[in-house]
Amino acid sequence: MVAARSGCSATVIDSGPAVGGQYYLGAQSPEGGSGLSYAALRRAFDGLVAARGIDLRLSTYAYALQRHADGFVLRTRGDDRHRHRVSEIGARTVVMATGAFDRQLPFPGWTLPGVMSGGGAQALVKGSGVLPGQRIVVAGTGPFLLAVAYALISAGGNVVAVVEANEPLNLARHARAALPAAGKTADLARFVSALARKRVPYLRRHRVRRAEGLDRLESITISRVDSEWHPVSGTDQVLECDALAIGYGFTAQTDLAGQVGAHMRIGSDGGLAIAVDDRQRTSIAGLIAAGETTGIGGVDLARLEGVIAGVAAVEHCGRRSALSESAIGRGTRDVARLRGFADALHATFPLRPGWRADVDDATLVCRCEEVSAAKVRDAVSDLGALDARSVKLLTRAGMGWCQGRVCAPTVDALCGFDTAESLIGGSYRPVAVPVPLGAIASDRMSP
Amino acid sequence: MNVDVVVIGAGVVGACCAYSCAEAGLTVAIVDRGAVASGTTGGGEGNILVSDKEPGPELDLALLSRGLWARMAGSLGDSFELDPKGGLVVAAQSATYEQLLRFAGEQRECGVIAEPVAAADLPELEPRISRDLAGGVLYPQDMQVQPMLAAAHIIEAARSTGRARLMTGSEVTGIDVDASGAISGVRTAHGLISTPIVINAAGTWGGQIAALAGVKLPILPRRGFILVTEPLPPLVRHKVYAADYVANVASDNAGLETSAVIEGTHSGTILIGASRERVGFDKTPDWTVLGRLARQAIDVFPFLAEVSLLRTYGGFRPYCPDHLPVIGPDPRVAGLMHACGHEGAGVGLAAGTGHVIAQSIIGVRTSMDLAPFSPARFEARHVS
Amino acid sequence: MSADASKSSGSVSPTVDFTFDGTPYRVPEGQTVAAALISHGVVSWRHTRVGEQPRGILCGIGVCFDCLITLNGQPNVRACVTRIETGDVVCSQEGCGFGD
Repeated sequence: MVAARSGCSATVIDSGPAVGGQYYLGAQSPEGGSGLSYAALRRAFDGLVAARGIDLRLSTYAYALQRHADGFVLRTRGDDRHRHRVSEIGARTVVMATGAFDRQLPFPGWTLPGVMSGGGAQALVKGSGVLPGQRIVVAGTGPFLLAVAYALISAGGNVVAVVEANEPLNLARHARAALPAAGKTADLARFVSALARKRVPYLRRHRVRRAEGLDRLESITISRVDSEWHPVSGTDQVLECDALAIGYGFTAQTDLAGQVGAHMRIGSDGGLAIAVDDRQRTSIAGLIAAGETTGIGGVDLARLEGVIAGVAAVEHCGRRSALSESAIGRGTRDVARLRGFADALHATFPLRPGWRADVDDATLVCRCEEVSAAKVRDAVSDLGALDARSVKLLTRAGMGWCQGRVCAPTVDALCGFDTAESLIGGSYRPVAVPVPLGAIASDRMSP
Repeated sequence: MNVDVVVIGAGVVGACCAYSCAEAGLTVAIVDRGAVASGTTGGGEGNILVSDKEPGPELDLALLSRGLWARMAGSLGDSFELDPKGGLVVAAQSATYEQLLRFAGEQRECGVIAEPVAAADLPELEPRISRDLAGGVLYPQDMQVQPMLAAAHIIEAARSTGRARLMTGSEVTGIDVDASGAISGVRTAHGLISTPIVINAAGTWGGQIAALAGVKLPILPRRGFILVTEPLPPLVRHKVYAADYVANVASDNAGLETSAVIEGTHSGTILIGASRERVGFDKTPDWTVLGRLARQAIDVFPFLAEVSLLRTYGGFRPYCPDHLPVIGPDPRVAGLMHACGHEGAGVGLAAGTGHVIAQSIIGVRTSMDLAPFSPARFEARHVS
Repeated sequence: MSADASKSSGSVSPTVDFTFDGTPYRVPEGQTVAAALISHGVVSWRHTRVGEQPRGILCGIGVCFDCLITLNGQPNVRACVTRIETGDVVCSQEGCGFGD
């Protein structure tokens, strides 16, 4: 919107059938978030689209980004019904706001139908109005679990428990540096009180050890854990459930930036993020990034970053943005403040190593290629694999449909190769979403 | 540390050299700046081909190597997915088919099994193949391995003799040559290894290793892309490629040449490869090249149009000006052996290369004449 | 298993008719294929090609490709991000989805 209002021609592509992303999925009157209401934002956006200030292309996936002349070529395809519908978009500037997806840790039984990500459960209920099961457990770590539970409860769902591996009360200690983020804490308080009203237990310092069931999820076993996530003996507890919504933080979608060699950094959550400066500019001139893809931080931060990214895009095109310098200055200060709060959340809800001991030899670590933990461990102990790439080539972990988006960081961790270098190296994916050969086939010699 | 032989490069060629040397009773250290198969080997398809070789020393080496691969697979168990799938070379035009048949005839005289297949009989071999082809030639001797697994397991076999050790993450920083002009040791990031013999199996980087020993070796990188599809049932049974690929391998044209080589793998993915460009060490995928590869693959197997591309990777094939590898002792430095520059045929020629290198080191008659592969040939060229 | 949210969207909300493995189903408009199946108690629609394990949704937002399904003869469509449409013929998948 900033770009369009500043006189740039702007094209917006989104993989979804409607704008709004995961946060505002199916939202009529969205809850949460502060500042400008989503309804007002949407009215303004829709107005620009109607006035042809923004060329909006929905149900469109970008599978590759290439540098070209003094700009970029973005290659796109249609949704899964229209995979052959490809196009190329040339642009001086590309703003990446590709978001994130739930980070998963493998555990025995995690491939049983009924075990799904927190984001997946939320998408079911928010996007389609469907509950994932009759008895739902929400588990993992992070404040997002509360948002998922809240969405499920609000839709009439029976949430058996929320199982949180960390101690949320530590937030008070970590957040001291970032107290002004009052809106965020109010959200959390609202979620917690909703749980209390429905008498949903919020089990802190508890972790899902395994899932059981024949052809689908029937129950899970949870344990109390210490601060390193090692189970406390004698605290095993079986919860009957037919749906488990689980997630341990998020993984940023950085594929397109990786394709053009943009610098990455390790965020305070231990995950990969695109490195940006205070104007959301990446290390590649003209490539700008905003939102979760630059580090997991939530919706308020994402919206602010989006505005600043718009300014950077306008400036890169050699124009003056419609925003005043003081507004931009305020925005960058707010971004820094919200980043501080995100860091406090990540310090409160870290990943701890205790989960690794639960991954028995038979547990699949790579779901796509069905690679067991035993095979991955053998690659290191017997075949002399010294790095993540060797493990991948020797075992095929991470070489299937999802290209390691789900398993690469955990395979690294299980092998003890979870270094920044390995995380960054393993994130290079030349094809961001599978595309039919027939759609890319060409006889042409030049672009 | 003190060993009989230092092998520089833990790719498939280095692995085979180390294995043959260890089997021959020599003590061996394999050093690599990266991990096993982290260079050229890891970026290849694992071809063991005779079909693309014209009569000459490379074909002789390929035939020797092929037999050794089969033997290794027998003694090491099915650890690296050796698949004697056979190659099928097809021609779209009748004129190319004529050429292909003549080429196959010449190969047959050298001991290659090459069976002409009429257009009408192609679907029996490959049910999904295009019905618009002029004909093909079946090469039952062509095989494939998973190159990464092959390198890892062959090195493991060498180590199990108790005479070989692997040092990865260990960059070679210098090669010591004594006053008499003979090799005396190899300097690595982890210290000095005393040795009278160095095998340069550094693939694409073979020229740089040679330079450390003070000699020039004209090895250049050629980029090749491979397209990897979604996993499929075995819809492509052989290694299938169009006849003009044979011409490309021996080509001196700079710039892009593509001709799709299509094959299935154990894991179900189909690999489409064989683009070749001389563009230095740049791995960024070029979608124009990928698009042409896709087109050519679909021309041979129309069903591929509906199959998804999951990823693509680039590798570098080391080549010499005359497209022959460099194998054998370097006359300029006593104790320096080369085993590099195999271009796209490194995996296929590796077993034979390791075999003759070991023979050469222990001083027995080599299974074939190494003169055509001698590093000395470049010196001669410079003079003429 | 539909949530309250879908009921509140109007008294005569439009519906979609489709078949899954030959059985006809009806769901409110706007649901994904995965949601439509889950709302009818179907939680898995694919068996893996190696271990023949049942799979349903994992990430639920189009990233993990665990929820692949055959839609109108086209294999390997992501059930979690593809919206169901009237007349869709949805089939469970074995292995690679190519009739193996």
